[in-house]
Amino acid sequence: MLKHLFKLIWNKRKQNFLFLSEILVSFLVIFAVFSFLTYYYQNYTKPLGFEYERVWAINYDNGQFPKNKDSLQTLYSTLSNSLKAMPQIEEVCYASGNFPYASSTMSTAVKQNGKKFDRVNFYTVSEDYKKVWNVTMLAGRWFEPEDAVSKDKSIVINETLKTAIFGEGSAVGKLIGDFEDKHKMKVIGVVQDIKTAGDYWPAGNAMFNRLDTGYLKDTRNILIKVSPDADATFESQLYKFMTSTFKNSTIEIEHLSEMRDSKNKVTIIPMVIFMIIAGFLIINVALGLFGVLWYNINKRKGEIGLRRAIGASGNSVSYQLVLEALILATLSLVVGCFFAVQFPLLSVFDVPSSVYLIAMVLAVIFIYLLVFACALYPGKQAASIHPAVALHEE
Amino acid sequence: MIHLQNIEKVYRTDTVETLAINGINLNIAKGEFLSIMGPSGCGKSTLLNIMGLLDEPSKGKISIDEQDLSRFSDQQLAKFRNQKLGFIFQSYHLINDLRVLDNVELPLLYRTSSTKERKMLASAALEKVGLSNRLKHFPTQLSGGQRQRVAIARAIVGNPQIILADEPTGNLDSAMGNEIMEILINLNRNEGTTIVMVTHDENMANKTHRLVRLFDGSQVQ
Ligand SMILES: Nc1ncnc2c1ncn2[C@@H]1O[C@H](COP(=O)(O)OP(=O)(O)OP(=O)(O)O)[C@@H](O)[C@H]1O
Ligand SMILES: [Mg+2]
Repeated sequence: MLKHLFKLIWNKRKQNFLFLSEILVSFLVIFAVFSFLTYYYQNYTKPLGFEYERVWAINYDNGQFPKNKDSLQTLYSTLSNSLKAMPQIEEVCYASGNFPYASSTMSTAVKQNGKKFDRVNFYTVSEDYKKVWNVTMLAGRWFEPEDAVSKDKSIVINETLKTAIFGEGSAVGKLIGDFEDKHKMKVIGVVQDIKTAGDYWPAGNAMFNRLDTGYLKDTRNILIKVSPDADATFESQLYKFMTSTFKNSTIEIEHLSEMRDSKNKVTIIPMVIFMIIAGFLIINVALGLFGVLWYNINKRKGEIGLRRAIGASGNSVSYQLVLEALILATLSLVVGCFFAVQFPLLSVFDVPSSVYLIAMVLAVIFIYLLVFACALYPGKQAASIHPAVALHEE
Repeated sequence: MIHLQNIEKVYRTDTVETLAINGINLNIAKGEFLSIMGPSGCGKSTLLNIMGLLDEPSKGKISIDEQDLSRFSDQQLAKFRNQKLGFIFQSYHLINDLRVLDNVELPLLYRTSSTKERKMLASAALEKVGLSNRLKHFPTQLSGGQRQRVAIARAIVGNPQIILADEPTGNLDSAMGNEIMEILINLNRNEGTTIVMVTHDENMANKTHRLVRLFDGSQVQ
């Protein structure tokens, strides 16, 4: 029977072209939707790697500050001490603009044995950064004051970068080159990955660099961890304190939990829009498939009647029609999968192959279910056509 | 072979009720070649459909080959049609998207049979109707007479005991009609197939064993 249906479909390939291309397009759209969803889901299930709940970011412009390194150093340590002295503040650190959930990114590359590792997020942070975020060390140690005077520059890398460079081996104590491989940097520790771009994006490669006095002139961000009783009143006090400290400077205080929400929204909203559009497309395609199948059954009443006359039961007629639709779907899916499999093969985007493979399987199941659902009712209807009527009508 | 007892068929639509056939009693013996004649709309096709188990009578009893068919399920009826009956229609009812050979194989698809066996039986059936040289054609590439011969091959491929033919020569000129008639007569004579044929043509009817005339749903002769 299967072979017979293949013949029938092959001989009708021209009539079936529309059906086939509709399914192909739907498959590709659904594949894209599932790829995004799988990617986001995989990232979402990974641990965050840090605590953002009571962290605030204070942003200021530093144009008025002294240019002299020593006076800057004094200014910053005084500021840090005054902040820490406030009972509502638990931890204070300085950081480059690309702290978690901030919109800025800085990336570089590192070299190890001539091999280049691209897209490494480069964070410049002061020693207390780890305490503010409660970052977990997996190996080695975090920055300490003596790192200021060490021979090779000390760096801390995250787990992803460590695995990329060293695999299962140990990284602590190893030297790696900067992007031109001119200077060597010494890995002193490995931290757990932190998802700085929101819940739905991977941590990526990351490298932490100790914020030294040379960088103070570029520092514009203070990150503080506040105590649970820090409220709006405290926030306005803090704001006043900052404006009196940095005269003529614009001060901005942001809560990391809010920054996280808006960061996540940037991912979720387009995805929801995409899913709604895809949903409408699928509804359209479903109606189209349903219509085509319905139309075919009416057009094929003579054939249905004939099959009934020569020995097909009502059930076997509906089985045949559903099977035909599924065979057609299979033909489209074979072509669709050929396109889809190019993504992992050519690694078009920096996304793990597993994402595409899972999305492909899900999309195939989805399309089969869709076609099955659309074919079921017309098929049932065909079974209930009286054989004599069907023959009569040709 | 076929026993019809007090068969009545009423077609009901929302507005009208048509009594298509009324009180038909008919016994057809094994190996008989029977023709049915009557004016258009008198219920010939309806009667043939009832004999072919394609339609249920509103009243009356039908048995074929000593089997009471009133309690048969849809599935059992389908199997019974497949094994015992062959159909020939005025408008051939070939599937235009299938080649001649595949059209003839169709009834065998609803039985357990191998591809090889199907091909062999279908080729043999086509040889009997003289179409061995048209196996790979599509029905639209054939003449009316050839198409009807394909339909006959399809009807006999499963080796049925009964063939029901509804105006098999209705769409053909007399030469082609005679050819078809020749095939049916030979089938009846050589294989002992019971044949019931509806026709409008007295000449055709005269070549059969017995003629039944219908008028307004009732048997008049
Ligand atoms: N499905 C149906 N629904 C309602 N009425 C029907 C149906 N099929 C047939 N009839 C009616 O039953 C009567 C007999 O029809 P039937 O097709 O048996 O005639 P026929 O003798 O075969 O005519 P013809 O020689 O033109 O083929 C007609 O009056 C027809 O209108
Ligand atoms: Mg008729």
